[in-house]
Amino acid sequence: MADVAITGLAAMSALGRGPAAQLSGVLAGSATFTPVDRFDTDARRVRLAATLPDAGTLTDELAAAIGEACRDGGLRGPADVPVLLAVHGHPAAARSGRAADGRPLRTAAHLAAELTERLGLAGVPRVYTSACVSAGNAVADAAAMITTGRLDRVVVAAGYLVESDQFALFDAGRGLATDGAVRPFSTGRTGLLLGDAVAAVVLESVAAAGARGVTDAARLLGWARTGDGFHPVQPHPRGDGMARAIRQALGRAGLDAGEVGHVNAHGTGSPMSDAAEAAALAEVFDSVAVSATKSVHGHALEASVLLELVITVLALRAGELPLTAGFLAADPACPVNVITDAPVTSPSSISDTAVSVNAAFGGANTALVVRAA
Amino acid sequence: MSGLRVLAEARWPAEAGPGEPPPVVAGYLLSSFNPLVADVAERCLAAHHGERPAPPAEGADTAIVLVSASGDATSAEHVAATVDDGRSVGPLFFFQSVPNSIAGHVAARWGLAGPLTCLCPTGDALADGLDQARLLLDDGAARSALVICVEQGGGPNGADSAAAVLVTGDRHR
Repeated sequence: MADVAITGLAAMSALGRGPAAQLSGVLAGSATFTPVDRFDTDARRVRLAATLPDAGTLTDELAAAIGEACRDGGLRGPADVPVLLAVHGHPAAARSGRAADGRPLRTAAHLAAELTERLGLAGVPRVYTSACVSAGNAVADAAAMITTGRLDRVVVAAGYLVESDQFALFDAGRGLATDGAVRPFSTGRTGLLLGDAVAAVVLESVAAAGARGVTDAARLLGWARTGDGFHPVQPHPRGDGMARAIRQALGRAGLDAGEVGHVNAHGTGSPMSDAAEAAALAEVFDSVAVSATKSVHGHALEASVLLELVITVLALRAGELPLTAGFLAADPACPVNVITDAPVTSPSSISDTAVSVNAAFGGANTALVVRAA
Repeated sequence: MSGLRVLAEARWPAEAGPGEPPPVVAGYLLSSFNPLVADVAERCLAAHHGERPAPPAEGADTAIVLVSASGDATSAEHVAATVDDGRSVGPLFFFQSVPNSIAGHVAARWGLAGPLTCLCPTGDALADGLDQARLLLDDGAARSALVICVEQGGGPNGADSAAAVLVTGDRHR
């Protein structure tokens, strides 16, 4: 199976704008959660999120990220590039009303059309609305499109900016952390906190990248998407589907688990989800360094996988692995080696290969295996 | 059909009962979206497999591709109105806030453990869904795929519509 080159990166989050801000932020390990002033939270139990104060509209931020990733990848710009887009929906969908035939007037496809027109894209062949694995599905599909010869080059873009409706839903569902911190795999964890993220990644065949003389930032060696087939919203308690995703991705990459030096975990800080993920990681790996960067930048829902992929690539290239904020003490239900006190800084002690793992409602899982170029 | 073979299909409204609402799905409120997904998926899978669950060897490699432009517009509009009124949202809406949830409901009932993908179509919904199924099969990620297309509105007199088709590759099964 051919590798896929990752040649361009762009990202924004509460850590700041640009890839360098993401890397320095997760290596510093300081959480970015502050009181939300973007909308009214008076009726909510929780009032914190990780937001970037000068964030623009989702359309503007996506357009900027796509352009920046293309330029980072040595392309003139996004014109004539196909984009796979991962979003919750059109930001105005629920407040735009219906057409005479009952159809919503604004959908995610309209957002894709706006980006296509503004940037002169070759089109948006897919818009992913698969919740927290949307961008993972998009990256895996992009790789499949490249390795099956459908496309030479594709941009995956994803965005979520903290807004009132998802905030209210997570609050109502008791999904948000009640003590102001996200504590993945730790005792005392109470839930997740939401965060802004817009990211874009250029993926292309190694041959296409080589033909235009660009140096790839990393290689995507393996990818997988699986389902638990267990429950509408709860993860399989033993992490069966996630373990299968990791194994499939490693198998595609031709790697043993022992050849992986780092896992960027889904790690939401939710009691049940973290325990299931830890079971999956323990099932696959004897011991591997685990980071859960949502503890720093929050959970960006449909954009989370792409932000975390960007961070994973940057960390591998830097030879430093992010730490996990908010960790109080090891939870016996989460037998994983969480990087907590300081980034792992010795390049000689770590592999240059990492796995980024994610999961979503519906029992959906994705695993992406990347190696620094 | 681009190298795909149809194993079973189902539509809503069903021929036997046009206009009948789809059966209620326990735990899902207010909106037709989730019952429509469950109904066409159930009848499509039953037409091929008979009783639940699917044989493990088949279910393990069956993907779900849920395609909808509208998504669950009814629930999203309800949540937006509730938020705009400064009120608290009912907790059950959290669990139906993404289409993955009802797709996971189908996966759990039938033991389907392949990839789960939800898409907003940028072209014809069924064509987009089948193209995604073809991609998953070509990638070795699945051996069959249940493609479900659901829209709130858009039909005669603003009616909803839903269809499901179970497909496999020509070389499979």
